[in-house]
Amino acid sequence: MTRTLTASTFALAAATAMPAFAQDLPQTGNEWFIAAQDTVAAALERQQNTDRALNIILMVSDGNGVGSNYATRLFAGQQAGNFGDEHVLPFETFPNLALVKTYNVNSQTPDSAGTGTAMMSGVKTNIGVVGVTSEVVRGDCSTLEGNTVASFNEIADGMGKATGIVSTARITHATPASAYAKSVDRNFEDAVPEGCESQSDIAQQLLAAMEAGVIDVAMGGGMRHFLPESEEGGRRADGQNLVEVAQNELGAQFASDMVTFGEIDPEADAPILGLFEMSHMMYEADRNDEPSLAEMTEAAITALQAKGGENGFFLQVEAGRVDHANHAGNAARMVRDGMAFAEAVALADEMTDDADTLIVVTADHEHSLAFNGYCGRGSDILGLCMTASDDQVEHSGEPELGADEKPYTVIGYLNGPGSILVPNDEGEFTGTRADVTNEEATDIDYLQQALIPKSSESHSGEDVAVYAKGPFAHLYDGTIEQNVIFHVMHHAMTAE
Amino acid sequence: MHRRCFLGRTTAGLALIPLTRTLAAAQEQPIMPRELYDRDGSFSDIARSMAGQRVRLEGYMAPPLKAEAQFFVLTQRPMAVCPFCETSADWPDDILAVYTKRTVDPVYYTVELVAEGILVLDEYRDPETGFLSQARLEDATYS
Repeated sequence: MTRTLTASTFALAAATAMPAFAQDLPQTGNEWFIAAQDTVAAALERQQNTDRALNIILMVSDGNGVGSNYATRLFAGQQAGNFGDEHVLPFETFPNLALVKTYNVNSQTPDSAGTGTAMMSGVKTNIGVVGVTSEVVRGDCSTLEGNTVASFNEIADGMGKATGIVSTARITHATPASAYAKSVDRNFEDAVPEGCESQSDIAQQLLAAMEAGVIDVAMGGGMRHFLPESEEGGRRADGQNLVEVAQNELGAQFASDMVTFGEIDPEADAPILGLFEMSHMMYEADRNDEPSLAEMTEAAITALQAKGGENGFFLQVEAGRVDHANHAGNAARMVRDGMAFAEAVALADEMTDDADTLIVVTADHEHSLAFNGYCGRGSDILGLCMTASDDQVEHSGEPELGADEKPYTVIGYLNGPGSILVPNDEGEFTGTRADVTNEEATDIDYLQQALIPKSSESHSGEDVAVYAKGPFAHLYDGTIEQNVIFHVMHHAMTAE
Repeated sequence: MHRRCFLGRTTAGLALIPLTRTLAAAQEQPIMPRELYDRDGSFSDIARSMAGQRVRLEGYMAPPLKAEAQFFVLTQRPMAVCPFCETSADWPDDILAVYTKRTVDPVYYTVELVAEGILVLDEYRDPETGFLSQARLEDATYS
């Protein structure tokens, strides 16, 4: 009897749902109701693009999982004078979305080397290795042979496309390295161990990729790995000056500051090498005399459009320092680099045509940050969690309190240098939470409170999102393995 | 051992720090290392006005570069070491060398402290560690 009734109820609802939904419900005039109907109407208008992608841009915000991205969304919205929640980041307007499982073959919690390889070559591999399969033993050069993989840059180059890499991290760091390097250890940035003859260091591999024409544009930090130890800040023990090699033997245009960056001729038939810091580029909050991620992205797209011509291009863009600010437990810098990433995405979208360009926006992994409650609307995403108000939309102005009767911030980390635990004279870790004010918590240098003491906050294995628009973007759907990102890009680039 | 000159190209977050604090006010309460520098890495007006004077700075003690030292690095934030960011420790730009009266008794790197000493603004390379500083506290104490 119950089953019959339920079935009849469904049938009735199906027969009448749409007219009743549109005309008779008391909430039809509600602004949320109307906005949601507009969203559905826009979705119904969506057309799948099954043309071959001329250009592909993969934009990776390192360490920007769903949680970190949420923090950036609220920060951007609050910077614009709003509560924050309602804000929409540029890539959040993209029509297609999937969740991504980021684990490495041998590690529940991934690192950027393993994840970069997954996205750039189509196979998952182990933590700490770049451009090689999981058959490789980390650090053992004898296991390299026969276990390397082709990167998306190499494949795109084989199709006559121009390719480039842009990062605010060192250009020899894991994510950009996954575009050109095969290394049994991500840390072989300027040298390999004695007796290792199966590979060269990662900086040398970038030069080789530029010489071979695989990489046409490379911009980021990491100059120290290209300079000999004899030069201030240089790290190369072999005495080579790879900047001079790039300029003199490859004819590369070289930039190291805003003046030389401005002198680059994107139309010139010469590779471009930009190294703007000895190590990583500055956090966006501190940036001085070096280009923003958006400015590098703009320069790279302009150059690749010229170099690739009718064959098109592939570009990997990385916001490398979202990850580093999270590692430092410093959400204030994390969200500012997150905003810089969003600006780069918006610019890339503006400079290209959805009809022939697939833009893929993702993160390689998440971090151990989490969010407290129950915060009222407009609680500063970097500050204290304020209680919700019963008689207004905005929060009450009164902080939520823990059982210790102290306020807490919206964001917290499970581990890291912000730990409330410190060693006592006996070496045992004990502690209590600081009674932090909103002013202190929103300071640029504030570290959110963390539980487990660690000098570097850790990644987490939690899912990240992938957002896409352009040819075959609709194939990003559901919950996917990270290496699928490569396969959709590859299908889009080679579709008949 | 080569150490990065900490007076590099920038000082973290300086754009957000009002520089209207007067010298007198600054001496009433400790200042922070970042207040010594402008965004381009040059010394701030506050730093120049306090040079040669006994001043107080609050910050954190980076893990000492060597045992039994009379020297430590005062950092703006707890000095995180990130195995996935760095192949070896890199110093941030907003730090200060502190030369102490007595052998340093290490303080855990996340515990805030106040150092007091004579502010000196010139280049100095520590003979034992090779640490190059452009500014430092001399004859310092901390608590």
